[in-house]
Amino acid sequence: MQPDDSMINRERMMRKHVANKVAIAAVAAAGMMWSSGAMAATICFAFQDLETEFWVAGHQAITTTLAEAGHTVLERNANEDANRQLEQVRDCIAQGVDGIILIPQDGESAVTIVGEAQDNDVPIAVFNRPPSDLSKGIIVVADNAQIAQQAVDFIATQAIEANPGEKLTPLIVVGDLGDPNAVGRRDGFYAAINAHPDAFNTPIEVASEWDAATALANLEAAVTANPDIDLLFTSSDFLFPTIRSVLEPRGMWKKIGEEGHVPMAGLDGDVTACRLIKEGYVDATGVQDLYFEAEAALEAILAAIESGESQPNEVIEDPGFALTSANLAEREMDMWGCVLAQESAS
Amino acid sequence: MTPLLALEGIGKAWFGVPAVSDLDLAVPEGVVLGIIGENGAGKSTLMNVIGGVVPPTSGEMRWRGDLYQPASAADATARGIAFIHQELNLFTNLSIAENIFIDSFPRRLGVIDTGTMRQRTATLLDRLNLHATPDTPVGNLAPGERQLVEIAKALHREAQLIIFDEPTTSLTARETERLFDTIAGLKAAGTTVIYISHILSDVQRLSDRIAVLRDGRLVGEGAVAAFDVPTMIQTMIGRELSNIYPPRTAAPSPEIVLRVEGLSQAGVVENVSLKVHAGEIFGLFGLMGSGRTELARMIFGLDTTASGTVSLNGLPLEGNARSRIGAGLAFVTENRREEGLMMDATIADNLVLAAIEDFGRAPLALLDHDRLHSATQAMRDEVRIKAADIATQPVRALSGGNQQKVVIGKWLMNKPRLFLLDEPTRGVDVGAKHEIYAIIDRLAAEGNGVLLISSELEELMGICDRIAVMNHGEITGEFERAAFNGTAILAAAFRETVN
Amino acid sequence: MSVSTAAGAGRTRPDITDRLKRLILSDYFVLWLSVAYFAALVPFFPTLANPANLANLLSNTWPLLAVALGQTFVMTTGGIDLSQGAIIGFTSALVAALLATAGAPEVLSKAPIWGVLITESGGILSGQAGSLLIGLAIMLATGIAIGMLNGVGVAYFRMPPFMMTLVTMIVVSALAIWLTQSENIRNLPEGYVMLGKGDIVSLYIGPQDRSQIPRREIMSLIGYPAVITIILAVGAHFLLNRTVFGRQVFAIGANRQAAEISGVPVRRVLVAVYGIAAFCATVGAILYSARLEAGRPTLGEGTFLLDVIGATVIGGTSLFGGKGKIIWTVFGVIFFVLLSNSLNLMNLSSFHIDMMKGAVILGAALLDVARTRLSREVSS
Repeated sequence: MQPDDSMINRERMMRKHVANKVAIAAVAAAGMMWSSGAMAATICFAFQDLETEFWVAGHQAITTTLAEAGHTVLERNANEDANRQLEQVRDCIAQGVDGIILIPQDGESAVTIVGEAQDNDVPIAVFNRPPSDLSKGIIVVADNAQIAQQAVDFIATQAIEANPGEKLTPLIVVGDLGDPNAVGRRDGFYAAINAHPDAFNTPIEVASEWDAATALANLEAAVTANPDIDLLFTSSDFLFPTIRSVLEPRGMWKKIGEEGHVPMAGLDGDVTACRLIKEGYVDATGVQDLYFEAEAALEAILAAIESGESQPNEVIEDPGFALTSANLAEREMDMWGCVLAQESAS
Repeated sequence: MTPLLALEGIGKAWFGVPAVSDLDLAVPEGVVLGIIGENGAGKSTLMNVIGGVVPPTSGEMRWRGDLYQPASAADATARGIAFIHQELNLFTNLSIAENIFIDSFPRRLGVIDTGTMRQRTATLLDRLNLHATPDTPVGNLAPGERQLVEIAKALHREAQLIIFDEPTTSLTARETERLFDTIAGLKAAGTTVIYISHILSDVQRLSDRIAVLRDGRLVGEGAVAAFDVPTMIQTMIGRELSNIYPPRTAAPSPEIVLRVEGLSQAGVVENVSLKVHAGEIFGLFGLMGSGRTELARMIFGLDTTASGTVSLNGLPLEGNARSRIGAGLAFVTENRREEGLMMDATIADNLVLAAIEDFGRAPLALLDHDRLHSATQAMRDEVRIKAADIATQPVRALSGGNQQKVVIGKWLMNKPRLFLLDEPTRGVDVGAKHEIYAIIDRLAAEGNGVLLISSELEELMGICDRIAVMNHGEITGEFERAAFNGTAILAAAFRETVN
Repeated sequence: MSVSTAAGAGRTRPDITDRLKRLILSDYFVLWLSVAYFAALVPFFPTLANPANLANLLSNTWPLLAVALGQTFVMTTGGIDLSQGAIIGFTSALVAALLATAGAPEVLSKAPIWGVLITESGGILSGQAGSLLIGLAIMLATGIAIGMLNGVGVAYFRMPPFMMTLVTMIVVSALAIWLTQSENIRNLPEGYVMLGKGDIVSLYIGPQDRSQIPRREIMSLIGYPAVITIILAVGAHFLLNRTVFGRQVFAIGANRQAAEISGVPVRRVLVAVYGIAAFCATVGAILYSARLEAGRPTLGEGTFLLDVIGATVIGGTSLFGGKGKIIWTVFGVIFFVLLSNSLNLMNLSSFHIDMMKGAVILGAALLDVARTRLSREVSS
């Protein structure tokens, strides 16, 4: 087994869930935006995969919302088959849709499909997974550094408030630095820490290679060498269970307000992170704002349709947000992990 | 007194060919009835009718005087009829007790009552003198012991008629003795027995009465005293050779086409040597399981041989069937459907199969359809296949005789030097048989060698120049045409000594 | 009066059923079925007959047909090849690794092929003279070799084709994913991409008064995929229906034992047949990966196999072996592509589409059984 298999799988799982959530958001947003307008657009929504449960639950809501607003949405599910997605988009084009919103199977096929749409003068927007080439089409991309910075900023402030005047030791679990996502997340972490030059010692870096076993071994070693950690950031939420298994025996896995609590933040916004924030063990997690992304993609595509622009090219950055113990109540339902958690609970 | 089982005018035809016709037979209660007959005499069909496996096409059966019309094998079991076959129907992974109670486990409070089961099994085993505990897995038993378990199963079901079909085939001499004791015991206890075997001396020794079948008819029946072994054989062969055999048109030449020397394969064929001359029809007679088909397969290169050589026209034959076909062998197998024909393919496609490579044109081996067409048409005329259109009609639609002609025609297209014919007239009506004999004669007259395997002695005596007899993989006799003697040949096949 | 009517009906009825039987048994049955299906749906879904949609139909037909041609050979021997999809994924990744004009280290640097077949400056063949042809040759040879391995398993070790090709599917697909670490390989050379996308004849229907015709109104009529697939189909037709080899393929499917006893080199033919199936899959890999402009190890996964086997069976090639025609498969693929396309136009969810496809394949399998029975009836 390759060390990062679990990561790949996990990533896939996550993406899948994200796609599901976004599907509802995107279509619902379309309905809301145009409910007041008079123009009825036909939009092809091509996504790479959907879970059955979601489909059953979400289908009714989507169709009714859109029907009421007077729009037509052609839904195309590629079932994780890039070729099928290409054929489906071609079918959409042949049907004369006004615009296409794409959640691609991967960055490479996204480039091809965007090209196909633009060759045929149909505006296209891509979100959730950016094409390898950002120069064509309306591309909504999450800014990893900015998202990480927001989350780390929150715990840095918490840590400084709890220990005024002390020099604090931060720790970061970094991902596979061959992955641009991991690099961006680390950059964001340093940006937040370096904003308080007097408050922090040089951060301890723990390599995970996006692998739980590697993270476990390295974190054990790091914590044994430096038992006084004041702040912890993990480049991905999926490592929280690993972190817990290292910290708990050392009395460092405590709720906010309890003696020995280490302010902790992560990134991704998965179900575990949502639960840990609610329980008080974790302070914050950075999230791709998928609702923002869906809405941005839709707004942009509808604007392009209205202006008659057939090959709009634009990169929209998703700044994301940090779900924290402070804003939990108001923003909980903007985070896909919490939405999923609630869905499975009900 | 009403017989236990009475058959009245029973007939059964397969695809229009009668296997049993208008057969009357009474099985009195409490006797051992021996049934004998050549292969294909109708014994198996008759047993299947009695066992409810196949319904008769005509006639009726009576069980203790009441009409007996079994719809399935279960009906026969319910009446009290049990079969002990060559191949036993036991679950080797289960215990003796479980096998005996397989279809009716005794229960107490819904749970299998193992205590009762064991106890009853022990009683049965005791009665049969089988010294094994009821929990012994059947897989651990010797073949003879397994057979006793089958008998125990029959007794447990209170069978009144137990039919043994070739029960001694896989038994040692001692086991056979024990089986005979058991059968005597059954008889003493009032159970009726039908005993079918090729081993005539056994039948004579065990039976009270003997019934002889030939061509699906009962040709002799009576008390055992009236049947010594030669009489049995005579009755089995029956009538004089009829004139359905065409006269031979040419005599064999001294040139040897096929020479087999010392061919052996453990347990199958032992040290077989034979010669087939050009223009000769060489018959190979033997009972089922005598190794004759296996010998043909070995000559043709389909089965492996441990030792011995085969040569054609003086050149040694080696390698697989494909290379031997190239050397000039042809093999009409006994299973037309499984090994000879593509049933759903057209007659023409079948005819051309063995010689297909001759019809490819270089360099891409594109088929020469014109030549293919004329060659298949010519072959159709040559072997007289009765079909409307050989290019569209599948062989499935043909009668058995015409299907067999397609198989022979297929090989003729290849112009072989030696034909291995295994039961070429099986399941073929009399008219087509005659035509096939004529074709065989012509093959020989054209200077080819023919090795003809058959279980119909009459047929071999009708058209062969020489007949060799096999028993248990060995050649037990060889007869020149002038010395053909049905009784002697059959005796060699049964390995009985006839004075 | 009533008696004569009854007699009349008695006379005409067998005539109608007879015609129906002949229609079902006709080589062109599936083509007529496609035409009838098309005609029946057009009034409700006019987009179906829209030239752009027709062009899509055609372009979706070619790669699927290329793969199904190979499946036809295997099915005619009474086998099945489940590994075609995996071969597509594997060979598409391989050719991309050989030919890519550049490699992306951030994506591929952890893949075992990095530094061996592909580096930052591209695949090992990139930039060399004749690299496209060499790359394609290596790709096709690799595909054929995998197929022949299937053939050896089926022919020499008597593995059931289902089992053998299932194992190959799992192993080859895992190998492709491991070698690339599940990453797609981009930057295919233009010459390669042309094979999947290049147009030779395009069609524009409309007024000629505009200086510039919008791209979406130009229909691709004949492209390289069409030419490649048509050549492949014609070759397959000759091979299966007009050569000694083809007859041997049929014979094995009709009765392997009889074929063996009749001197057909059964094992050699089987190895060749599975090689052909893999060759066709590899051609499909070229068309699919070229139009997606990337080699992808996961190409041909999932329900793709359903499309290939479904199209072949619908065409009329028997699941039981011994019956198959290239032209049937052509019609089967057309019907299948038309079906998928029309189901898409009906805006059904992908689940419903797969359910419909499954039902149609079941129907085709039942039709196969019915045909076999009918042909026996008609002939006897």
